[in-house]
Amino acid sequence: MTTRKVKNSLEEHARVGRARAGRYWIVWAALLVLTVATYALSRLHLEHPWGLVVALFIASAKSALVVLFFMHLWDHGGANRLVFGTSVFFVVLLIGLVVLDNATRFVLANPGRGATLSREPPGPDILSPRFPPEPAAPGGFPGGERGR
Amino acid sequence: MSQSPATTPPAPAEAPGYNPRNYLNAESGVASWLLTRDHKRIGIMYLVLTTVAFALGGFFAMLLRLELLTPGPTVMSAMSYNRMFTLHGVIMIFLFMIPAIPGVFGNFFLPLMIGARDVAFPKLNLLSVYLYLVGAAIALYGMVHGGADTGWTFYTPYSTTTVTKVVPILLGAFVLGFSSIVTGLNFIVTIHTLRAPGVGWMKMPLFVWSIYATSIIQILATPVLGITLLLVAFEHAFGFGVFDPARGGDPILFQHLFWFYSHPAVYIMVLPAMAVISEAIQAAARKNIFGYRAVAFSSLGIAFVGFFTWGHHLFTSGQSTLDAGIFGVLSMFVGIFTAIKVFNWTATLYRGSVKFTTWFAYFCGFLFFLVFGGMTGIALATVALDVHWQDTYFVVAHFHFIMVGSVIMAWLAALHYWWPKMFGRMYSEGWGLVSSVLIILGFNATFIPQFLLGNYGMPRRYYSYPERFWPLNVASTAGASLLAFGFLIILVYLLVSLKHGRVAGPNPWGSRGYEWMTLSPPPPENFLEQPTYPRPPHDYSDLGAAEVTHAT
Amino acid sequence: MRPEAYVAHHFPNLQQQEHAARLGMWLFLATELLLFGGLFTVYSVYRFLFPETFVAASGLLDVKLGTLNTVVLITSSLTAALGHHLAQHGRGRAAALALAATLVLALGFLVVKAFEWTHDFHEGLLPGRYYSYRELTTPGAPMFFVVYFLLTGLHGLHVILGMCVLGVLMVLAWRGSYDHGYSTPIELGVMYWHLVDLIWIFLYPLLYLI
Repeated sequence: MTTRKVKNSLEEHARVGRARAGRYWIVWAALLVLTVATYALSRLHLEHPWGLVVALFIASAKSALVVLFFMHLWDHGGANRLVFGTSVFFVVLLIGLVVLDNATRFVLANPGRGATLSREPPGPDILSPRFPPEPAAPGGFPGGERGR
Repeated sequence: MSQSPATTPPAPAEAPGYNPRNYLNAESGVASWLLTRDHKRIGIMYLVLTTVAFALGGFFAMLLRLELLTPGPTVMSAMSYNRMFTLHGVIMIFLFMIPAIPGVFGNFFLPLMIGARDVAFPKLNLLSVYLYLVGAAIALYGMVHGGADTGWTFYTPYSTTTVTKVVPILLGAFVLGFSSIVTGLNFIVTIHTLRAPGVGWMKMPLFVWSIYATSIIQILATPVLGITLLLVAFEHAFGFGVFDPARGGDPILFQHLFWFYSHPAVYIMVLPAMAVISEAIQAAARKNIFGYRAVAFSSLGIAFVGFFTWGHHLFTSGQSTLDAGIFGVLSMFVGIFTAIKVFNWTATLYRGSVKFTTWFAYFCGFLFFLVFGGMTGIALATVALDVHWQDTYFVVAHFHFIMVGSVIMAWLAALHYWWPKMFGRMYSEGWGLVSSVLIILGFNATFIPQFLLGNYGMPRRYYSYPERFWPLNVASTAGASLLAFGFLIILVYLLVSLKHGRVAGPNPWGSRGYEWMTLSPPPPENFLEQPTYPRPPHDYSDLGAAEVTHAT
Repeated sequence: MRPEAYVAHHFPNLQQQEHAARLGMWLFLATELLLFGGLFTVYSVYRFLFPETFVAASGLLDVKLGTLNTVVLITSSLTAALGHHLAQHGRGRAAALALAATLVLALGFLVVKAFEWTHDFHEGLLPGRYYSYRELTTPGAPMFFVVYFLLTGLHGLHVILGMCVLGVLMVLAWRGSYDHGYSTPIELGVMYWHLVDLIWIFLYPLLYLI
């Protein structure tokens, strides 16, 4: 896992160098545009979860630009990319599984009684459900109410 | 095959038995040690430091077992007992288990095994020793002022509200974490960039693969511990309420963050042990490893999949059942990689030509305890079973089987296998075998009763217990005394061997591992002439000693 | 000094040494990512548990200043990248000026941040038990500010550290240490600075634009 060999001659270096410097300005402009975009989109107050999704998407795009071009991951070798990619993966794993825990817990085990994904809140006491079971439909299956 | 004298174990007549100009005596004076950049000297410094730490942690363990000799208070109060087990845990884990094998044997042998002259960043290597010392000093300050009583796991909300000196210990552990990160960083870069020509990825010694996997875990997991300990320290000092239910905080969040590090941490402890065993077993059997790729990749498998399993420490804490199910299944999955290694090591021994040395005795202990400790781990990963066993002595016995039974046996195996290379002297084989028997038997006597106690329901971290648990606790304490005695004997004969041991020569075991291809003790620049690597490590196929000379 | 003089005894050549230095820096940046990852986890959990309160509390922060800071930091990343670029081409003094510009922008960032924090202190928008803002009293509000101060505080600490590193590099570049083909220290310092910018790129929408 080695990097590409650095070019030897200074002229070659200078030529490539001028192109590279231009690259930085373009990336900077793109970052500013994306910043404006994320600000503008946030003012729309998109309904949850789209506001968060859009914000994270734009932030990821900006980070990708910084990492690939300012930090030269576009040019440099596989080991560096593996390191960066792996650490991002593990951050996502950590956040994902922890939030999944809070999202799927027994609702009273969460602080602040914030909403969970889908659980029905408990009834008047912990043991009785909020909505009692439906009575068996008349003319339903054999052995039902009418059968007694 | 013509090879120059310094590149392969030279013929007995030519080679100096004891290398007269070696890394130990090439420079003298305290400053040459305190400012050294030589990875071998750094390894020796780690050896001294971790041995002292082990002795201290073992001292606390003996006090614990002494207290548990009788039901009710024996020699200390409940509060003191809490501090004892906290300090035992903190010292053993952060000051010994995490740094020991990578710090001593990783530092000493990694460059030798890949034909390098040093690690990639020698000054950073020295920094890691000083970070260890600073972290240890801070934690020691806390210990001297009474120590913490939270357990080494620092669970909130107790750790954020206790009056004991938890903050110095947290900060000490934080600094020690940096030492660990620096070591891991150094090793990864060394393996990527300093392998000599001929040492390709698939021709590296297996020790290097496992150390590489360990280093990955150190880099990725330790920072999360760092931020978590800082959060606890902040909350303890300032009452921010991150983990305080009264302020809308979630105590279980602490457990998630803590165990995100601490579960991979146990793989930081066990992977280097497996690294040692992979080397020793090939030398013991005089046969190359069965399934090189499987063993190499299983190290990476443990490193990665080990990150997906932390929630099995939270089964009874209030975690959601969905997460519990996910973590339960993934915890089962991680056992597969260890099983791959166990089967491959056993297959390596099969029809090999084994000489029963002290370090081979430790390998036998390692294997036995890894299998049983590992299997009880898989059992604990079953959520329904864990409900019964959580926070009992069953868990304590499980992790001591791995920590002591596997990791420390591997540590001792490494010490005895590589002692001649590191110091150029042989120790007394008789005393070695005697102490290995004492240790293995003592270990069994200490921890098997604890499995039974845990299953009967004795909780952990309790200084007193009902009378029906008395006999098993006595048995456990007796075993611990045997263990301690065994360790003392080892210390004595190893120290004696430094002065009075028989000169070892470059390769007393006839091992074909790459690290043996230099003099004993090694010269400061590692090799007099850069070795060449025409064969893979541990290639004994030309010897005809084993019935089956080549495993695969 | 010729570049070859910088090669340490255990490295075969300069290229390998530079590759090792870069890989080492990426590994260190990985640890920083995981460090902040822990704090982002705390943020995610409490945002999940207190969604409306987080929206309300975020509204109490000054979005304009946050956006300004984002632009400042992005521009400082540009000047830092240009600084490294100039150093690579042996133009040490120009590189030092670019790094100086980076430092000025970083200082601007800190000044704006200090202004924001002072305003929050006066309003009573403080973490945990120090929270005393009467208009928003749901349980998640102090928690938002715990997360806000921890995240921006740790980030600010990294800005200060980055400034120290870049300051040293700037002085050395001005003195011509990097004019002869060896500019790895600048590359590494600038990488650290880009990480600081990277973290803010995520902090900005997550704290200010909820």
